[in-house]
Amino acid sequence: MSNPSRHTPIGQLASRIRHLATRRSIRLTSEGTRFLLFTIGIGIAAINTGNNLFYLLLAMMFSLVVISGLLSELCLRCLDLHRHVPDLITAHEPTTVTLSVTNRNSRFPTFSLRLFDVVGGQDVDRGLFVRYLPAQRSLLLSYPLLAAKRGWLHLDYIRAETLFPFGLFLKRALYPVEANILVGPPIKPLSLRFIDELVCEGQGLALPRRGHGTQLYNLRLYQPGDDSRSIHWMTTARTSQLVVRETEAEDQRRMTILLSTTAPEECDSLFEQSVTLVASLLWQLSTRSYPLRLIVGQEDAGLGFGSDHLLTMLRLLALCERQNPGRPEANIAASASALSRDTERGYTLAILPWSGEDVTAVTVTADRVLHAAQIEEVTHAF
Amino acid sequence: MPFEQAFRLSSILLTATAFAGLVFARTVPVWLAVPITIILLIILLQTMGWAYGRRITERISASSIMWNVLLVTAFGFFLLNVTAISRELLPAGIHFLIMLLGIKLFTLQQRRDYRHLYAISLMAILASAALTTDIGYVPIFLCYLLTVVWSLLLYHLTNETSVHAATPTGERASVAPSAGHVTGGFFWLTNGIAVITFTLTLALFFLLPRVSAGLLQKSRGEGLKTTGFSERVDLGMIGSVKEDPQIVMRVELPDQPAAGKERLYLRGLAYDRYNGSSWSTSSRERRNLGLIADGIFAVRSSGTRTPSSISEPLRQDILLEALDTSVLFAAPFAEFISGEFSGMQVDGMTGLHLPFPASSRIRYSVTSREHHIISDEQLASGLDYSNSIRDRYLQLPELSMQVIDLAQQVTGSAPTPYEKTVAIQQHLLNSYRYSLDTGTTHSTRPIEDFLFTRKTGYCEHYATAMVLLLRSLGIPARLVTGFLATEWNDFGNYFTVRQRDAHAWVEVYYPHSGWITMDPTPASTAASSPSGWEALQRIGESLRLQWDRVFIRYSARDQLAVVYSLRDSSDSARDYLSRWMITLKTTVSQTLGQIKAHAKSASPLALWLAAILPGVGLALLFVVIKKTWWDTIPSHRPTIRKQEYIAQLYKKMLDVAAKQGIIKHPTLTPMEFVQLVRREWSEAGSMVADLTMLYCRGRFSGSPLTHEELSLAGEKIRALQRMSRATG
Repeated sequence: MSNPSRHTPIGQLASRIRHLATRRSIRLTSEGTRFLLFTIGIGIAAINTGNNLFYLLLAMMFSLVVISGLLSELCLRCLDLHRHVPDLITAHEPTTVTLSVTNRNSRFPTFSLRLFDVVGGQDVDRGLFVRYLPAQRSLLLSYPLLAAKRGWLHLDYIRAETLFPFGLFLKRALYPVEANILVGPPIKPLSLRFIDELVCEGQGLALPRRGHGTQLYNLRLYQPGDDSRSIHWMTTARTSQLVVRETEAEDQRRMTILLSTTAPEECDSLFEQSVTLVASLLWQLSTRSYPLRLIVGQEDAGLGFGSDHLLTMLRLLALCERQNPGRPEANIAASASALSRDTERGYTLAILPWSGEDVTAVTVTADRVLHAAQIEEVTHAF
Repeated sequence: MPFEQAFRLSSILLTATAFAGLVFARTVPVWLAVPITIILLIILLQTMGWAYGRRITERISASSIMWNVLLVTAFGFFLLNVTAISRELLPAGIHFLIMLLGIKLFTLQQRRDYRHLYAISLMAILASAALTTDIGYVPIFLCYLLTVVWSLLLYHLTNETSVHAATPTGERASVAPSAGHVTGGFFWLTNGIAVITFTLTLALFFLLPRVSAGLLQKSRGEGLKTTGFSERVDLGMIGSVKEDPQIVMRVELPDQPAAGKERLYLRGLAYDRYNGSSWSTSSRERRNLGLIADGIFAVRSSGTRTPSSISEPLRQDILLEALDTSVLFAAPFAEFISGEFSGMQVDGMTGLHLPFPASSRIRYSVTSREHHIISDEQLASGLDYSNSIRDRYLQLPELSMQVIDLAQQVTGSAPTPYEKTVAIQQHLLNSYRYSLDTGTTHSTRPIEDFLFTRKTGYCEHYATAMVLLLRSLGIPARLVTGFLATEWNDFGNYFTVRQRDAHAWVEVYYPHSGWITMDPTPASTAASSPSGWEALQRIGESLRLQWDRVFIRYSARDQLAVVYSLRDSSDSARDYLSRWMITLKTTVSQTLGQIKAHAKSASPLALWLAAILPGVGLALLFVVIKKTWWDTIPSHRPTIRKQEYIAQLYKKMLDVAAKQGIIKHPTLTPMEFVQLVRREWSEAGSMVADLTMLYCRGRFSGSPLTHEELSLAGEKIRALQRMSRATG
């Protein structure tokens, strides 16, 4: 865990602070308590009798205690821990997190190491146990991580503890291995009827654009790189210039989803259901190769398609927060007004978990608006 | 061997060691020792995989009710033992402990049972420590320590494994194909831990402050039975112990480490009154000796002696076994005694006594001076004895005229008392044969029987005869009992004194010389040169003495002595250093003076050379040492640091580029990223290329970067941070 910044005074200070952060604690086990009681008993006998062989046994017991402390410290001293987490995970879905454990000790192996995630100051047992790790070796441990809610999941530390060598003391060390994981909303299956309805409604608003298809879209001059099979020979002969034929795309569907973040506190669960609905909808439409655009409050993810764009939209959903009514920056009306001027927005679906404010602009702009009751109807199976 | 099997094996061996400790302390009766040994062997063989052993234990294994009944029975026997049989808590407790051990060995199923077994073993080893101080305890303790380390370590490891195996979601990992087995590395690691534990144990043993509260203690056992050191000694009593090889004491002569060829008389008690069959003392008065320093008692000498009659002081360090007598033994005649005694007494014939017999071994030091007869008294034809001496040391029982005639006959030609004494001694030495088979124990006139009938006897007969013959001639004499040390241990440089070395001799009084030791007993014909086995025994004896001195007798006083010696050593080291500094200062000032004197007459060039050459030499030395040091230090750690440092710099460079909007996608190689930067941020392209080259070389080539290259990379990063990308 060497760091070049150690060469500077600030680096050294940081190193010391880090060292303090990897603080140790020691706790007696039940076996250790019994062992110490026996030791005290032998000590009393030695002091009472002055028998040197009792002193010898007492010294042996003390030595075992000291050796116990030294070896457990050796086990924990030169550990290097790294946590590998994905960029985005989904709430309520297990994700595999990988933990790399390296024993930087030049000679001494590590035994009986138990590892815990520290989340919010609490040890979370993931069942990670390293029985034996030789010196200068590393190993990978993986465990499932299940996030309970969307947003940022902050993993503070990793706590390592060992009972090695004799199980008399539980020695613990805290390693600052921080990780921030973005948790997206859960993806739930939606009813096919609902999806098909949306798709059918969207078909009517399809805009002609260039793409793969059979219908003529445009004729233009040939450019290097164009497929020679698309040359329109009749026009080429008529104009004495190479002219190619462009077709109209047949997948010219596009959809914009507006999610209002304004909702009072009592609508919190409905808001979360709305976020889940949007995420699930985005997922479903993305699998059908729809160009999608998501507007959450006043945040706009832009129009796009493909998995990268889906991830961008899910990140937006992961971080969106419910806003209490009355906050102008949360009002979706402004976004809806701006959207109304966009002629290429395609089919627009507005999701309003709460309809208490002026939603006229939204109603005018959107092709379909889902209010609280409809949201509950769609998401009741979630 | 799998951990689980090794754990069971080490636990059984731990128990066996503790049990061996009890057997060694001779506290286990045969009726208990034999079955427990058989049980241990069966369980041991079963643990090692012996199928027949497993079958035996399966047959014996019974319900828990039966074991509980056995347990209650054992406890009942313990109560009976305490109240009716042995009537002592310790032996009864040990018997109960061994029964528990036997029952537990058959019911080893859960981990709790192993914990109970460890507790019983600890109690057993503790009990054996309480009951023995013999050196034989050393191998038992060493085995116990080794098996304790193995057992505790394996108990923990197998426990962890079983706990985590029981957790279905648990992620267990280990980087070893044979994890869970005792490999060579694990074997040596565990033994190494045991060695370190032992070393630390020794250090702590000597450092732990010694306190002895002595609460609720009971004197243990009886001392070794001795003969010849009571108020009254029947003639022939010493003969009964003349073949007993038990060790009574060990005597070191610190000022004469090679005194092996000499015989050493260790004086016990003197007797002045003989009634024809037994010796006794006329006065039972004892006076307490005064302390002259911490733990040092002084014996006031009686009478006046000229300095020439006193020999050089002889210092003896004596380790005396627990005896049934309070008499202390020392070479004649003791002047100073030091030891951890609450008090010390001396009787009228300078016999040393403790207030009561010691219940355990004691160690003490004595300084003695032997008396020599002065030449005037050797030549004097008549000596003037005081009335008190005459009354006390010329007492005779009813003797036959034959004895008196013999005395006159032997000394007829001797003109002086001294020569008469020597003549009687020589007569006894030459005319009688040493034999333990005398048969005179129950004779009514044993001395007459010895002198005229059998003409064989042992020390008591010789000494008694000499005293009576001298007294019949009017020469005061008395009989002394003690030990004659002849068995010199070459390995430990000390005398081993056994029961069979019990001896009686004579002290003859001379008014100005005092009491002179004379021994009329001829050497025993049984003495022979030591065989190889005896040499081995002596080595063992020597080890026992060292064990006793260093471990058993180690006390708070020894700890203080170590502290004082350390203080003295530091004082002497400081003195030596200050003397050395003064000498160095003087030498340097003298040399400088000489150089100054030479400089006045030397040429300027020579002066310059004299000034520069030492400086150059020192610089060369520094370079050589530095190079050697750099070569010897392990090189992998700095390399790793440099690798990490250049990697950190590269990461910083990526951060700077990211701030400028050029993000390195994970799929891009470093060189592709350089191309990207050249396209997007042309002015930073060369710097990024240089840094990337350094990064690739430092991180992947295996040849470490120099400090200059690293500092150059740092400068480039700083320059890059100052630059901003032109957009648009």
